[in-house]
Amino acid sequence: MRILAITALALPFVGALFADDEVSTFRAYVDSDLCARLMLGPISPARMECSQKTFKDGSNPVLVRLQNNLVVTVNKEKLIRPLVGQLASVSGELKVKDGTMKLATADAIKADSVPANDPDRRLLDPQKNKANPELYEKIRHELAMMPYIGYFDFISFTLNGGDVILTGWTVRQINPNDARNAVKNIKGVESVVNNIDLLPLGSNDMRIRAAALAAMRLQLSMYFWGAGSDIKIIVKNGNIILLGRVIRQADSDIAFIRCNSIPGVFKVFNMLQVQPGA
Amino acid sequence: MTTEFKKGTVCLTAFCLAMIAACSQPQQQQQAGATLKQMPAGKDYSGFLSSYANLKPNPDFENTMSYVNPDKEKNIHQYFAVIIEPVQLYVSTDADVSKFPDRGRTALAAYFEHAITDAVDDAFAPVTEPGPLVLRLRTALVGVDVGGETGGAKDKDDPTLNRMVNIGKVGVEMELVDSVTGEQIAAAVDRENLGAGAEIGSANFSRDEKFEAAREAFDGWASRLRRFLDSAHELSKEDAAHADASYHPYGEPVAAKK
Repeated sequence: MRILAITALALPFVGALFADDEVSTFRAYVDSDLCARLMLGPISPARMECSQKTFKDGSNPVLVRLQNNLVVTVNKEKLIRPLVGQLASVSGELKVKDGTMKLATADAIKADSVPANDPDRRLLDPQKNKANPELYEKIRHELAMMPYIGYFDFISFTLNGGDVILTGWTVRQINPNDARNAVKNIKGVESVVNNIDLLPLGSNDMRIRAAALAAMRLQLSMYFWGAGSDIKIIVKNGNIILLGRVIRQADSDIAFIRCNSIPGVFKVFNMLQVQPGA
Repeated sequence: MTTEFKKGTVCLTAFCLAMIAACSQPQQQQQAGATLKQMPAGKDYSGFLSSYANLKPNPDFENTMSYVNPDKEKNIHQYFAVIIEPVQLYVSTDADVSKFPDRGRTALAAYFEHAITDAVDDAFAPVTEPGPLVLRLRTALVGVDVGGETGGAKDKDDPTLNRMVNIGKVGVEMELVDSVTGEQIAAAVDRENLGAGAEIGSANFSRDEKFEAAREAFDGWASRLRRFLDSAHELSKEDAAHADASYHPYGEPVAAKK
């Protein structure tokens, strides 16, 4: 009797503990962790290329749920490793709150297997949800003018209709709020999802940031100006992500080599875009 | 066996006590910390800042002289973390230092340090280790004076100070220096006069309604410090043009490319 009473009392708490869990099957894009946070939004050829390149360079594979852009890390990465850059139907136990999943199955699917009016198509058919170029430019300009963005911050965004998804990395606590405030009142913006990652300031990462900046200033000083830089140095847990634009492939290679020679760096992801005349 | 165990326990206890004593010593020093210095006679400044040479009137802040290092490689933009040093106090030239209540200076310095930390920590993360991207924030309250007697504390738990601390003519001198080289990156001297009546008579002034004016003054200075940092961070016309031209989110639609 007592056991029954205790069980009855405990049930709501146990239920609350697992309230976020779903045993579910859903369609996802198999991405690299880096690209999922950098290019959240439509699954474009550029994004697929980014996923495959950064996965090959060592970024972990993750799932991006097509329905709502949720980035999910999985326990059995080997099931999704062969699928990076593709769509998949996955099943398992999803913890929405943590963004994690105990993966049971993962099978490749074709884009045309997703029905035309299914909400999952939103990210597959960017032409239908094509961003308004004027609105896009206004958002881009506002984010470019943020005063506390420095050499070690990069904020990206995706515009889908009137929905803005902010992503990227920053070393300053103020920037995620500033970014949201900068775009939320722009006419045409309907919602803002803030996925900007606040970077840890551990002593090893701080040392790497300083060393990377000093190393690049030696040979690439033209990309570093008074209040900011064309090359952004993102450091997280000993890994460096190089972002931004340079005008020569050689400059991109120098940046990569310089960062790779810094003691204590685990991996360097060179995402620098080469654009002559940038 | 039992004797050995007892000996071991005694040794371990003695070692723990020694460690606790060793660890607690610097903390005691720190609590007594807010050192008291006297303003030099006939001088405009306390001598606290590493340099006053570059200070100029700031048109955006009344009664404020300031400086921001214009050097491209040593400007404020490249730093994003800060070591906040304990606030120093300079009593006015003619004040009797021996009458300055100890608990008063500690409470004053602690409150202001807390206000400063609150004001800046979302833009400059407080850290404890120096490094090339870390600033050191040095702050002094200058011109603090000893006020009249209060009647003193009734017992040891009574936070009433023996004498009032007068902050009516207090100014703030602050500087941000490179935490490795000590080079001055920005500095400001704020001389807002609070006037008569701005006094503190309790070590618990942060919770006492009577001393709201003093709290407001400290919070105001901290907020001015933050506005000064924000203004130092504003993009120049040239930098704004550069930032606008160089910012391209990844995966941006072709139509929006400049």
